[in-house]
Amino acid sequence: MNSRQTKPVYLIAASVFNHAGTECADLHGTVQAAQPLDFAPDQLAYPVTVPRLPTTVFDRKIQRSVEPQGARLLFCAGQIAAPLNDLQLPGERVALMAAIPEVDGPSSCWEAVQAIAEQPDALLAQLFAYTPPLHALMMLNSSVMAYVAEALHCHGPMGGFCSQSNAGVDALIEAFEHIAEGRADAGVVVSSSPNLSPALYLRDTTERPALAAPDVYGEGAAALLLTASPPANGTRALRIAGFARGYSAVPERSHAVARKVIQQTLSREKLGLRDVAHIVAAPDTPSLALLLTDTQAILHSCRHMTGNLGASALLTEIALALHDQHDGYTLLLNHSRTGHWGAVLLANEAMEKQA
Amino acid sequence: MGPREVLVTGYGLVAPTALDAATLFAQIGAKRSCIRQHPVFAELGFAASAAGYIDPVQWQAITAQVAAGDTPLPRQSLLAEFVARQALQQAGLVRADFCRVPSGVFLGANKHCVSRDLQEASRYMDDVGSVDLDRYLDNHTLAGGPFARRIDQQTWHIAQLLGIRDHISTHSDACAAGTMAIGAAFRAIERGDIDLALCGAVELMAHELSYYSFDGLGAICQRADLAPEQQSRPFMNDRCGFVLGEGAAMIVLESRQHAERRKATPIGRVLGYANFCEAQKITSSSRDGSHYAHCMKAAIANAGLSCDAVDHVNTHGTSTQANDRSEALAIAQVFGTGVDTMTFTANKSAIGHSLAASGALEAVLSLMSLQQGVLLPTLNYDPANAEFPELNFLTETQRQPINAVLSNSFGFGGVNSSLVLGKA
Repeated sequence: MNSRQTKPVYLIAASVFNHAGTECADLHGTVQAAQPLDFAPDQLAYPVTVPRLPTTVFDRKIQRSVEPQGARLLFCAGQIAAPLNDLQLPGERVALMAAIPEVDGPSSCWEAVQAIAEQPDALLAQLFAYTPPLHALMMLNSSVMAYVAEALHCHGPMGGFCSQSNAGVDALIEAFEHIAEGRADAGVVVSSSPNLSPALYLRDTTERPALAAPDVYGEGAAALLLTASPPANGTRALRIAGFARGYSAVPERSHAVARKVIQQTLSREKLGLRDVAHIVAAPDTPSLALLLTDTQAILHSCRHMTGNLGASALLTEIALALHDQHDGYTLLLNHSRTGHWGAVLLANEAMEKQA
Repeated sequence: MGPREVLVTGYGLVAPTALDAATLFAQIGAKRSCIRQHPVFAELGFAASAAGYIDPVQWQAITAQVAAGDTPLPRQSLLAEFVARQALQQAGLVRADFCRVPSGVFLGANKHCVSRDLQEASRYMDDVGSVDLDRYLDNHTLAGGPFARRIDQQTWHIAQLLGIRDHISTHSDACAAGTMAIGAAFRAIERGDIDLALCGAVELMAHELSYYSFDGLGAICQRADLAPEQQSRPFMNDRCGFVLGEGAAMIVLESRQHAERRKATPIGRVLGYANFCEAQKITSSSRDGSHYAHCMKAAIANAGLSCDAVDHVNTHGTSTQANDRSEALAIAQVFGTGVDTMTFTANKSAIGHSLAASGALEAVLSLMSLQQGVLLPTLNYDPANAEFPELNFLTETQRQPINAVLSNSFGFGGVNSSLVLGKA
């Protein structure tokens, strides 16, 4: 985010779906023990069941045609259909951005292997034609987004992002830019975690850099609604006050990149870290303590309630920030295993009384 | 301060049978198709076995130039590096230049070679048909195994290669991904977030799983009576689907200030961009072309041009009934009688449909037309049997200086995007 003058952008609605529940308030509930994965008992996770899609929003047949990851994403999108509808905007003014890096990735590939194993005598072409997981395998990210766009009437700018767990940052920033630069009046941002399949486990055990400790996986999704206007009701509004992203493949340079990302994020509001009241970051964020030495801010994370939600982690935390409405500035940090850094600054502001 | 001017200073590509942009441009100019019979498709007995695929000889050349480290690079990353090197060389840039200024890598991609992954994983199925994870892991202790790869692997690889610190993003927007990656880089430079970008797309989908998938949607040409090179027939009455293709293309974009500071020679300019979600139907557009027209008009307006300033359109032109008709109707809505003085091309007639990469490949070919004043023919096109003969699709190469090209990409899921490219 550079210093040019643009329209303000507000967060006005959010939804989540994860092991803690389907409401943001559930993320403040009782911590539950993570469960061992059946295919890898030494690996703990917070799985979810496939949600039922709201039939008031989505065609019934969609439930059968999407794999679990897509269903989670659609469920969350469905929850913000009503507040989006209340805005009464023409579809051309509603942007849709998605962070779904795994739809075409190993999860669906694994399902294809399983499906072939279950029906070894079936011709591959027939499997592709009639087996839902395989249908999902070969369909593109944009097909899941098309379901959202059709149901929520999003006909504005559209984009799908796949930069691993930083994809949520990319999707949020893109939606912000479209609104701030006047190409849209509202933006729907959706995200989904990978499915807990053996493929995810296999990838994490073979990918470099190796993890210091096994990750506790999570399954979930989130959706946010951004607008150019503050909420019509209420006395407070949550504004996106800054953001930045950076990248370093070299661990030795990662700290410097992270500091620059934080500095850029705070710069538009001319803030220092001391001005930030709340910081949201996963506990395993590299050199977190070092990055935050200049602040007395309260550190938050709902990772212990959900497990690692991958591309959906940041949007889930933002949804919780909207629910919690902490006073002052909240800085959210995001780091991917392969070196992406992202940061978002939220400002909770009192609204001027209407005349 | 208004938006900054965005210049193109380099490009690179690999397409079926062509290892660089000049070869591809000359080949299409000479009306030689890059589409051939795919040996695997033929072996599997597909009704139509045509594809635009990167062959083993090309892979050998690519591998020879891209030095492998301890772990062999997956093919997407190999291809990405090969093409990136071409683009950097033409732009007169070295890797370190990307560390000196705010910079970014923006690449479109849809998926990696799932076909190979499935075959690999299937080797570890046990007697009851489940994959034996222990046996699999015993044989895949190093990074690089089928499941270790991510959809953004090539972006990650290029970012590491160039030491990018500011912006890396992977765009997964079906057939529009390449155009959208270029559009995103254009906007990032235009608004001053970065000064320098490498953008484009990599796609390796000319394999049997993609064939099954798109054939299931009725999108692949099944005309076994036609030779492979005749099967992609955009805008013809007898068109019947696209031919799978693959490839990669990247362009170097930079702000005018940055290019002038380092005395770079501009090749062209990105003038405008628009992208919209159609949400009409997953696999087809609005029949009247109105959504495509909306996108094209918005891109031209974004460029600050009037419609009559556009000389040439590089169409999405997939050779499917639905796409080509919608696009032709949209062109009529946007340009009206102006089409009489315009020219059109459909590169997929020669190289097939390389999905995510198609928009990036077509952007490079459009830039070459602007640069050289040479317009490419559409293969297999005959005005006498064309559905929209009023559109002047060239059947022979034509020398004609042009100033502005509109390049369209319309993806499954209703992702519509258009770029306006201009002369340097």
